[in-house]
Amino acid sequence: MRAVLKNSIATFSPQGFLDGNNTNSFLGIDDVEATIQLKTDMILVSLKKVVFFNKNGLDTFIKLFSQIRKKNQATVGFCDYDLKKYQAIKKFYHDEINFSLFKTLEIAYLFSSSFKNQNKNVLIYSSDRSQRSAIAIELHDNGHNPIVAQTKEEFNAKKEKKDTFDYAVDSTFLGQMGQKIATRVTGNAIIYTISMFLDVEISDKFNIEYHNNSLNVGFRLFIFDAYKVISMNVHALNFFSRLSSSAAEYNATICFVGMKFDKTPMSFKDTLEDSGILFYEQMDDILQNKELLKELGASSAANVKNKRLLNKETVMELPNFINAAAVTLEMMTNSKAVKEAVSVHGLTILNKEGKVASSIGYYGDMDGMVILVFPLAIAKKACELLIGESTDDLELILDSLAELVNIVGGKIKTLLRDEGISVNITLPRTYQDVDSLLEVIENRKGVQVDLSFNGDKFQFFLTR
Amino acid sequence: MITKNEIDSFIEKIPPAPNVLKETLRLLNVGDLTKAAKVAEGDLALKSYLKSIVNKPIYGFRNEVSDISQIFGILGVSLSQQTVYNYMVNLLSPKKWTLFKLNAKLFNELQANLSKKWEEILKHLHIEDKDIYASISLLPASIIVTEALFAQKKDNVNLLRTSKALDYNTILLRLCGASLFDICEQIARKWEMNQVTFKIIQAASGVNPSNIQEVNNLGKWMHLLLFYELSKPEFIEAGLNDFVDFQIEYINDIYDEFASLMEIQ
Repeated sequence: MRAVLKNSIATFSPQGFLDGNNTNSFLGIDDVEATIQLKTDMILVSLKKVVFFNKNGLDTFIKLFSQIRKKNQATVGFCDYDLKKYQAIKKFYHDEINFSLFKTLEIAYLFSSSFKNQNKNVLIYSSDRSQRSAIAIELHDNGHNPIVAQTKEEFNAKKEKKDTFDYAVDSTFLGQMGQKIATRVTGNAIIYTISMFLDVEISDKFNIEYHNNSLNVGFRLFIFDAYKVISMNVHALNFFSRLSSSAAEYNATICFVGMKFDKTPMSFKDTLEDSGILFYEQMDDILQNKELLKELGASSAANVKNKRLLNKETVMELPNFINAAAVTLEMMTNSKAVKEAVSVHGLTILNKEGKVASSIGYYGDMDGMVILVFPLAIAKKACELLIGESTDDLELILDSLAELVNIVGGKIKTLLRDEGISVNITLPRTYQDVDSLLEVIENRKGVQVDLSFNGDKFQFFLTR
Repeated sequence: MITKNEIDSFIEKIPPAPNVLKETLRLLNVGDLTKAAKVAEGDLALKSYLKSIVNKPIYGFRNEVSDISQIFGILGVSLSQQTVYNYMVNLLSPKKWTLFKLNAKLFNELQANLSKKWEEILKHLHIEDKDIYASISLLPASIIVTEALFAQKKDNVNLLRTSKALDYNTILLRLCGASLFDICEQIARKWEMNQVTFKIIQAASGVNPSNIQEVNNLGKWMHLLLFYELSKPEFIEAGLNDFVDFQIEYINDIYDEFASLMEIQ
């Protein structure tokens, strides 16, 4: 069984009955290996469609979880269960739960460092006081606003006031969480939360691929929330210096907020400043200062000094890129995609009104970014297979558009692999208007292909 | 990906029931097992299929049963009719499975398991209707239909399913407005099966409940039975566990009874 990947969480969804005899068939070694390769934040087994399970069945999954954790620091566990199933798991394992339990997949997304809908008000209750705190801290580190209920009665009372929170979290248990550094996105800035002692392990905990992808897709301001850092050693110092140097190639800025130097040599601060890192006392000093944000690059993602041109390799593979987009759109709409015009220039959108876009980057033997621009109505049509019903919910449409461009990315990966070219794809990104897209890619040259299916037109743009 | 035309063309290619089978079924229907066996003897493939099915361990016969009249005699009217329909469905299966890691033996195993357990369920529910016995034969047809429609699109479907947990039935329904179970209904109509058979199958899809309470109840039992079987290692490994969505809420009210009947602990 293969996992479904969304918001950096790989989810397996077995159906029916789970016991010691069949669990290995659900999750074979190949599946585990393929999932480890995905480098996700979490690997979860959804119990939503499991009508029966016993301890033997779960034990096999838990053994696999421990193998996964050894190779990949991901959070592992179960999600999507009702109270009866939650109580059964707690009863099976008593106090020896070293995996996590998330009542729903949506709740698990709140703990994922790649969840884009951050800054949510989250009502929390757990009968275990240490769990209440752990959940609140994790959520806070991921950019949410936890509201902790101390008693079940308080939780139920607060739950009645539906407009005061976005999510209610109960029947959830945090086992060993992923070791990766929490990441959140605020506007065009990315905030990483670091804490405790920063040493050589920082390079394992920091998701460098995510960081590089963020640079590739246009992020220019990276803030390290360092309020909870106690000290830093020379290995961490070197790591941050290198990070800053590589960010400079993209004209990106790295800032530290709340870092104290009582247990870290002040000379480290000088070294970091020399490598281009800026220090601020409070997060609001940056986020509430629009002028500063603009100066640091977070109000516009377009100030790339090192614009990269389309190279021969990319042009040679152009048919594969177009094919991937066309085949995916054909699959989603059951209609033939027709190529209408091809040109090389900056992205030209004649009528920006009412258009949405999505992009996905790829890197490896080749690198670049594929962008699809649709009129909203066409985007809705293209996502009908994924959504399953007609909707005007822009968030849902953009979410599905991200899934669509992710499929395009997957297809590109497959088509290039057939030619011996190995690439990985980034997380998809969506834009609710053309201006926010142009901020990211402004002035970059690329290949623009106007495509249509059933007379409905959309733009494909390939750039580096 | 899949168009209505492809579905129509698939249904068109399904042959009507051959005369030997029609006559066998007619005689079974009137309860004449001896004459039915004589007619069935004329179809060597049917004879071989019946032998291979009833000699599976799940049927529990100590000695090999090889004579058709003996087979029909042991099975009785309802189960004989059900087995002939199983044979007809089996005729639709591909020579080589591509989408699912199945083969003829494993597919027959699934048919036999479903049939035998359906018999247990109907006995438990005190139901003796021949057509209701036969309805289970149609269920594996949904797997054959999925294989036939999606085998050539395997890579694209796999790619789609890594981004969104969509089962084949939902994909087909969203693309063409017809479900796998609608196609099974078309097959049943072509074979002139009683309409109760495909009404139960539609309910057993889990997404199209019947407004006839008895049919709906049988649909629930069949839906749960399907996933009970598809949770076996060999069928999970064949890729069948998630070919359609398991509707857990749909079967909630019969689960305890089912678990007790199947001795699930």
